[in-house]
Amino acid sequence: MTGVTGAAEGAVKDVPGARAAVVPGGFGRPSLGARLLGPQRRNLWFWAFVGPFAIGLGLFTYVPLVWSVYLSFFDAHNTVSPTGEEFVGLDNYASMLTDDAFLGSLGTFLLFTVFIVPATYALSLALALMVNRLRFAQAFFRSVFFLPTACSYVVAAVIWKLSIFNGVRFGLANTVLGWFGADQTAWLSTTDPPWYWLVIVTVRLWLQAGFYMILFLAGLQRISPQLYEAAAVDGARPGWQTFRHITFPQLRATSVAVVLLLVINAFQAFDEFYNLLSDARGYPPYARPPLVYLYYTALGRDQNLGLGSAGAVILALIIAVATVVQARWFGLGRKED
Amino acid sequence: MHDALTRAGRALRVVVLIALALLFLIPFYLLVRNGLATERDITAPDWRFFPHALQWSNLTEVFDDPSLPMGRALLNSTLIAVSTTVGTVVLASLAGYGLARIPYRHANVVFYAILGTLMVPAAVTFVPSFVLVSSLGWISTLRGLVIPTLFSAFACFIFRQYFLGFPKELEDAARVDGLGYWRTYWRIVVPNTRPVFAAVGTIVFIGAWNAFLWPLVIGQDQEAWTVQVALSTFTTAQNLNLHELFVAAAVSIAPLVVVFLLLQRYIVAGVERSGIDD
Amino acid sequence: MTGIDRRRLLAAGGGVAAAAALATACGSNTGRGGGGSGPGISQWYHQYGEPGVERAVKRYAAAYDKASVSVQWRPGDYDRQTAAALLTDAGPDVFEVNGPLLDQIQGGQVVDLTAEVEPVKDDFNQAVLAPKIWQGKIWGIPQVIDMQLLYYRKSLLKDAGVEPPQTLDELVDAAKKLTTKKAKGLFLGNDGGVGVLGGTPLFAAGLSLIGEDGKVGFDDPAAARTLGKIRQLYADKSLLLGAPTDWSDPAAFIQGLTAMQWSGLWALPQIKKALGDDFGVLPFPKDGAGGKPSVPVGAYGSAVSARSKRKAEAKAYAKWLWVDRTEYQQDFALSYGFHIPARISLAKKAKELREGAAADAVRFATDHGYAEPLLWTTADRTAYQDALSRIIKDGANPESELKTVVRKANAELERVKKK
Repeated sequence: MTGVTGAAEGAVKDVPGARAAVVPGGFGRPSLGARLLGPQRRNLWFWAFVGPFAIGLGLFTYVPLVWSVYLSFFDAHNTVSPTGEEFVGLDNYASMLTDDAFLGSLGTFLLFTVFIVPATYALSLALALMVNRLRFAQAFFRSVFFLPTACSYVVAAVIWKLSIFNGVRFGLANTVLGWFGADQTAWLSTTDPPWYWLVIVTVRLWLQAGFYMILFLAGLQRISPQLYEAAAVDGARPGWQTFRHITFPQLRATSVAVVLLLVINAFQAFDEFYNLLSDARGYPPYARPPLVYLYYTALGRDQNLGLGSAGAVILALIIAVATVVQARWFGLGRKED
Repeated sequence: MHDALTRAGRALRVVVLIALALLFLIPFYLLVRNGLATERDITAPDWRFFPHALQWSNLTEVFDDPSLPMGRALLNSTLIAVSTTVGTVVLASLAGYGLARIPYRHANVVFYAILGTLMVPAAVTFVPSFVLVSSLGWISTLRGLVIPTLFSAFACFIFRQYFLGFPKELEDAARVDGLGYWRTYWRIVVPNTRPVFAAVGTIVFIGAWNAFLWPLVIGQDQEAWTVQVALSTFTTAQNLNLHELFVAAAVSIAPLVVVFLLLQRYIVAGVERSGIDD
Repeated sequence: MTGIDRRRLLAAGGGVAAAAALATACGSNTGRGGGGSGPGISQWYHQYGEPGVERAVKRYAAAYDKASVSVQWRPGDYDRQTAAALLTDAGPDVFEVNGPLLDQIQGGQVVDLTAEVEPVKDDFNQAVLAPKIWQGKIWGIPQVIDMQLLYYRKSLLKDAGVEPPQTLDELVDAAKKLTTKKAKGLFLGNDGGVGVLGGTPLFAAGLSLIGEDGKVGFDDPAAARTLGKIRQLYADKSLLLGAPTDWSDPAAFIQGLTAMQWSGLWALPQIKKALGDDFGVLPFPKDGAGGKPSVPVGAYGSAVSARSKRKAEAKAYAKWLWVDRTEYQQDFALSYGFHIPARISLAKKAKELREGAAADAVRFATDHGYAEPLLWTTADRTAYQDALSRIIKDGANPESELKTVVRKANAELERVKKK
């Protein structure tokens, strides 16, 4: 619920229908002893295993979720237990859906996704391809690219904001530009051109590219060497042709998983935006993704919990729909037939 | 003919890799450079690749600064990360096993209900969660910092996928021997699926160590700060002390980098075999 | 006279040392639940940047003998932390707040402190007391006056042949002339002034945020004209942006990254220590025929939570500290950072405020100070800041941007008046 698993959280990607259907059938012929246990005891065992987890999840995710939905129908300023007279029906939804700032934040998210998903995909795939067949120092390079996964957004934001991309003469980026005679650039404050995107995208690239590289490496390991040998016999030239006709198609499942994970994580983007761009006075109107906007609406000084909850519900619905549509589009589940 | 590249191509690849590796290491370099420099070195108009004299005293300064209880914060982070990891792995693996192996009419409903929470952004439920935790009287306690974060649908999902791929024959044999689900799980399944435990455990540990928002709000007393929260006190302080901030940041990631390098192969193996990507 | 002052100061200094020793002796006391006698009260402060403040407020709390008070020092996003905590029973009893905000008062989150303040009501600076009053009742006790002002480096202005700017046009010119390859002319914060300026330019143009009549006070062509000039500063590339520290920290000014900086009065001792007499202060310069110089003033208020289980004790403690114990109030205002006491009688007595740049600053606060009105809600502020950002950074049309804000502010006025 609080992003415990960081970049990897949100790994919903496998529509489990096909596999879940295997479970009862797969259990198949229970032994004599197991049959004597009967369905009642099995139910008991199921809940003994799943129960503690399910109860906790219900208490700490579903109860707050339902509470949020409830709040979204009230004019709840500075309260989480509004009274009946503060009931406003769908007003919060109406004003959220006509709020330029909220709609703008969805636009920001879209733009961010357009940047970050292809960039991370390309970089992590490239890293994996380069590291994969390395004959020496493979472990070293893999570690170097994977190591940033251990870094927190707080630490990364400190480095990016205060050392690499600060807007003054002793920032690394400005120092390098200075060697070529260029002026200082205020990376995070300039909206024309929007340099802040460079900062935001690079920090996330650095933090997560290594993780997806590992996924691609795993995918590459599974490609049968015979395929390459066969291709070589057929006259496929090494390099691009092999990649296009063998490697890339064979990585399809991994690619789908990576893209889905990237999109979901982009939707949940909060940490680096918040740590890079917020200050004591609030947050600028640009590069403001939905979660940041809602955070300020509901949890900031505004404390408009009703409106914020309505926005959050809208956002959750959008994420759910986007995930399902993507899953359908990529034809998830088909691969298991 | 595994490597489909020419000699020149291979050389180019190594050059590109080295360049990228250097780029990826820049932030770590900056942590060390700024952390061991004086304020004057950092803000000097001309770039210095390394401080004139390494200020190892910055390290002790960070631990002696009463406004930044770094030692206590490291202890808190360790306690939280360890208990979160143990708790998450136990709970999620049990649930994952139940979902994967124990036939139950509504197992699918339960599974979807768990999976669905992955789509709920933290901010959606953040305020009510806080109210809930505080009404339990858990503010600034280890309980409050740990228990609400123990129920990771992601971890449960990974375990379930992994157990589905675990050869059933072993378990069936165990049950013929009269072992119930419980003992089969502990005696047969767990010892034979260590990689996934290591992988999930490491990922959860990293996540718990790096978690920021929840500890910030729940760990209100200074005694309950984690390293991330302690660090943030620096970035938001009115008078920012750059060298101290950077050395504190370096200290905060050091334990994790060590853990990470030691356990890296488990994560990799776990990811490769857990079906996270299939 | 000075003899007496010095002796009092020495006595107070001795007290600090003794209390500090005491505090170290029992430094491991977490405060939660408290030791000591009497019922426990928890009191929250946001993290002050100035060294010594935390020890000072803990010393005051320790001196209170009717209840044990545990002080919590809260780094991070204080506004959000208090807002969240006030929804629960785990919150503070007494807390300082950048407000209280109208929604907090209307939502019944803070208690009425009229009876506590009434006897000395006239001794408070009226400009900062006014936003603590709603429907004739007082909801927070002003602690100290914070103000913002413009610092300039005398030597740099002289070298560039620039006079301290008296109008906004002169400021725009001066900032441009003072900008060089390695330093900028003016620092208004890393966002180009969007966050910190607030209504200041509007007041400099002779307007207001919410007028005396309770209507939007900047529905006027002059507003667009003035904000256009802030845009000019940005477009000229005269503004320092992306400094490691923000406007509230004088580091950029001291390090010579900028020739002029908009900052708080609290920065004055640090600047004086670093630059000696090589600096001066100014209000935000006036603009246009109806304009007047302006400086924003405000005060954190000490408030009592309505969810406190010990409201009576909490109120008594708030009164004891922020109404009765004037020596603590004076110490708090003047001994660490640099603030103007919220009590007129104390401000008059403070000799630190009688000379040099500090005296100028106090004069600005008295003559040109304005405080954000209670009716200027957070939603208004967000809408206004968004508009300001688009005007300054994107060169958006000030008139149409301001129209949106006026519309929002009118809607908010409607909303809060309904309650």
